[in-house]
Amino acid sequence: MEVLNHLLLGLSVALTPINLAYLFAGVMIGMIVGIIPGFGPAAGIAILLPITFGMEPTGAVIMLAAIYYGSMYGGTITSILLNTPGESSTVASTFDGYPLAQQGRAGPALVMQAVASFVGGTIGVILITVLAPLFSQVTRSFGPPEFFLLVMMGLATLIVMIGGNWRYGLISALIGFALGTVGVDLETGQTRFTFKSAEMIGGIDFIPIAIGVFGLGELYYALYVGLHLKGSGGIVRYDKEQRFWPTARDFIETKFSLVRGSLLGFAIGVIPGAGATVASLMAYSVEKSASPTPEKFGKGAMAGLVGPEAANNAASSGAMVPLLTLGIPGSASTAVLLAAFVLWGLTPGPLLMAQKPEFAWGLIASMYLGNVALLALNIFAIPLFVLMIKLPYRILAPAVILVCTIGTYSVSGSIVETWLMFAAGLVGFFMRLYGFSPAALVLALVLGPLAEQSLRQTLTISGGSFGIFVDRPMSLSILIFTAAIVGGGLLMRRAGRGFKPQ
Amino acid sequence: MGGRLLRAGFLLALLFGASWYAWTAFTELSYLSSAGRLGPGFFPRVIGASLVALLAYSVFVDLQGDWPESAISPYWRTAAVLALLCAVFVGLLDLVGGVLAMVAFMAGSLWFLNRGRTLQNALVAILLPLAMYLVFSVWLKATLPRGLIPLPF
Repeated sequence: MEVLNHLLLGLSVALTPINLAYLFAGVMIGMIVGIIPGFGPAAGIAILLPITFGMEPTGAVIMLAAIYYGSMYGGTITSILLNTPGESSTVASTFDGYPLAQQGRAGPALVMQAVASFVGGTIGVILITVLAPLFSQVTRSFGPPEFFLLVMMGLATLIVMIGGNWRYGLISALIGFALGTVGVDLETGQTRFTFKSAEMIGGIDFIPIAIGVFGLGELYYALYVGLHLKGSGGIVRYDKEQRFWPTARDFIETKFSLVRGSLLGFAIGVIPGAGATVASLMAYSVEKSASPTPEKFGKGAMAGLVGPEAANNAASSGAMVPLLTLGIPGSASTAVLLAAFVLWGLTPGPLLMAQKPEFAWGLIASMYLGNVALLALNIFAIPLFVLMIKLPYRILAPAVILVCTIGTYSVSGSIVETWLMFAAGLVGFFMRLYGFSPAALVLALVLGPLAEQSLRQTLTISGGSFGIFVDRPMSLSILIFTAAIVGGGLLMRRAGRGFKPQ
Repeated sequence: MGGRLLRAGFLLALLFGASWYAWTAFTELSYLSSAGRLGPGFFPRVIGASLVALLAYSVFVDLQGDWPESAISPYWRTAAVLALLCAVFVGLLDLVGGVLAMVAFMAGSLWFLNRGRTLQNALVAILLPLAMYLVFSVWLKATLPRGLIPLPF
């Protein structure tokens, strides 16, 4: 009953005309961000942060969150029609989505992916509604040892589950930690690695780094592999098909895939570091294993499209749980969202839901509405997004650089930060090229100060003993859970089923 | 071979940066604070030492040739030219101001990437910066670089 009251409060916040307008703008932008290959939600949210400066905090965060989960929907359209995932989390959707389109079933595939995304996203938000308050209560007993271990769990999971090479993933995270130490040490007031520059005393802002590695770095990589020469000639013409809508059989055959994908996706999304890409790939494997006709997978099985789609959208909802209740982002995109929260004076963590219920529940309620808007957009506005797919990359690429550069400058009017973004773009390109993990770098940069502070506090409490991590039941539980995830990930790699880099 | 050298060069550059970071952490930042607690050098020392060890090992492994190596893409020049144009763009921001720098960058990069479509390139190079100006400067009141000689609008 209490949950329903909270949800009604949230709806009263989200249903104001201005917040609805922000929500609709956010889902539209998210769809566009998802469609552009090599331009992910992390860069999209970071670039659009300055646009929200004139807004009221709840509306701003509603819009930025909508960009995040909206991009999960958008990335699939290119997966189905062009065999090119717009997002790493929609890679699995190419496996059966494109073969379906080639068989003249692009219309049903597009509608089914929209339905699966809607079901996954909505089940995810229902689970947030029920579980986030419980999580929030449990995490109130967390102290510095638990927070330090949660940061380590997020990074370890990210490195083991996604990175192609765990050593390069670890190096990426350490670089992020190193960048996070630049500036003033909050405990002693001593400056570190500032080159005596006044601009560096406040530390390295992660926004130019995120825009650089995810915006410019990915774009340089796309040019390096020749994406600018590929036209939209290979795009499948869905409008020539006789049947646009899916059949009753499509729904009946995939009803369990929808539920399985949603639950699996949410569970994986809650784990810091795992994320939507891992969720969708795991859902694909699960669907193939559960199917009575696994030989059809990869040749146009609807369950092979529906399961991963439900999973990646549910995972994006699941990732909001540690963000809202612990203040710990599980991915680069949620790290940028965390920064947006902080920018607006909101501190995500165990007390957020109790102290700022109108904000937390307004955001959750907006996600229900956002998923409905995305379902409608995905079915009825497909021609509009197909037009965008046809925009040549050779025109899109300079436009993206322009937006990245001006977006970075406008955050704080600093040319130093703009150069920093440029440098991060070059480093991001080489990281992408050689299998490093830009996501681990950005996540570590954002979480670095929390990791350092909580480790120092932990060792002060324990008198320098690391035994405190196993003495406390909560921290021991997190340690065991982390060991299980990392061990499982390593075993899967050894068995040759490890996930490929983004 | 070129690909392996480039990888080794990137790793060596990272190793150089990590070595400087670790050296600074060990020589300039104290391990303990004046109150006897863990000081500002504690965390950077752990990070720096780990980074140097991992990168040194990676350079060693890479130079041994244990890695499967792919050739450099034939499109590397395109990526390099765009990166160079981006650097010029950032350099121009404070010199000629945001609007002119945007027009110059778009014109240059479209001339390079989208050759032979002069009218299309000219329209995009003028209209997109104009739209950016209207969104960022007029609507959002965000700061755009004004340049050494500010435009009258």
